[in-house]
Amino acid sequence: MYLVIVGGGKVGAPLASALINEGHEVFVLDHDPDRVAALQRELGMVATVGDASSLRALEDAGASRAGAIIATTDSDEDNLAACQLARNNFDVPRTIAVANSPENARLFELVGVDLVVSATDLVISNLATALPAHPLIRLMPVADRTQELVAIKLPAAGVVIGRALSEITLPYGTNIILIVTADGRTKTPDADAVIEAEDEIVALSPANTTAELWEVLTELR
Amino acid sequence: MGAGNLGSSLARKLSDMGHKITVIENNPRAMSRLPRGRVDSGAMTVVHRDGSTGAAMIEAGIADADVFIAATGKDSLNGLAAQRAKTVFRVDRVMTAVKDEAARSLYDSLGIITIDKTALASDQLAELMPRNQDEQEKQVGQ
Repeated sequence: MYLVIVGGGKVGAPLASALINEGHEVFVLDHDPDRVAALQRELGMVATVGDASSLRALEDAGASRAGAIIATTDSDEDNLAACQLARNNFDVPRTIAVANSPENARLFELVGVDLVVSATDLVISNLATALPAHPLIRLMPVADRTQELVAIKLPAAGVVIGRALSEITLPYGTNIILIVTADGRTKTPDADAVIEAEDEIVALSPANTTAELWEVLTELR
Repeated sequence: MGAGNLGSSLARKLSDMGHKITVIENNPRAMSRLPRGRVDSGAMTVVHRDGSTGAAMIEAGIADADVFIAATGKDSLNGLAAQRAKTVFRVDRVMTAVKDEAARSLYDSLGIITIDKTALASDQLAELMPRNQDEQEKQVGQ
């Protein structure tokens, strides 16, 4: 497919290269001559200098035969204008835009951009998977608070996944009481019980080693 | 939105006509173009933010606005703000300044009233020029 990419920066340049590798014909429009020169050095004659929201530049980039336009500049207003101008003047069948601010992502969808990539939402959702979504739940204190009953949900990419309980070195004094699987079954914590992704471990832990227990059970590969 | 040459003189004129005006302008230096007395007396309100954001529009009282005018020097920014005012905040009359013909027809097609100040100026200047016919009559008269 012939694709026009508007903006050859930190999103547009690697995108152009990836799409070329996938066999697409790509043309990049950027207002910065240095960036265009770099793209030409790296990818060949696939880039030209021009304003995202200039009809002439879109025309020069071949918008009239493009299967899609992908606007990736760091200026949301230019991304929107490029998509709308391309659709309005060249009947580009598919418009795709990066929205740097989340509220602009909603607006882009509302005014008819076909596919909106919200940069902020992407970062947030990636961070959410990288950060501990595997909380330690303290169920109750035991034995005058020297011990506590805790539940720990294990990450799918944890180092302990696939190991038998006996192969895992737990802090001294820890008693695994129960294993609850992702689909709600319970497993008896025998020495040969194998830990699976998203298992929840219920343990009686000395209060001063609970943090260490959490680290052992949630360490990522 | 925008207190540049167009925005500030428009704000002054509309305020003279008795309209209640709120100007959204990010650049503190551009704000000096606004009539100081009117800003100080509260007859004209100034919101110091990026005017294309929903937060700035809300602070400027867009919920009660009869008209939103995007008057920065950048077509695409005016276009984005105007579309937000129209589709998100459902302002009755939305206007935008444009420089480029393509932007003009795009925003026109979206139901936004466009003002091309360069075209207006050249139309006015052309009006002032003698017509060909007058020229010829003049020559005949000589």
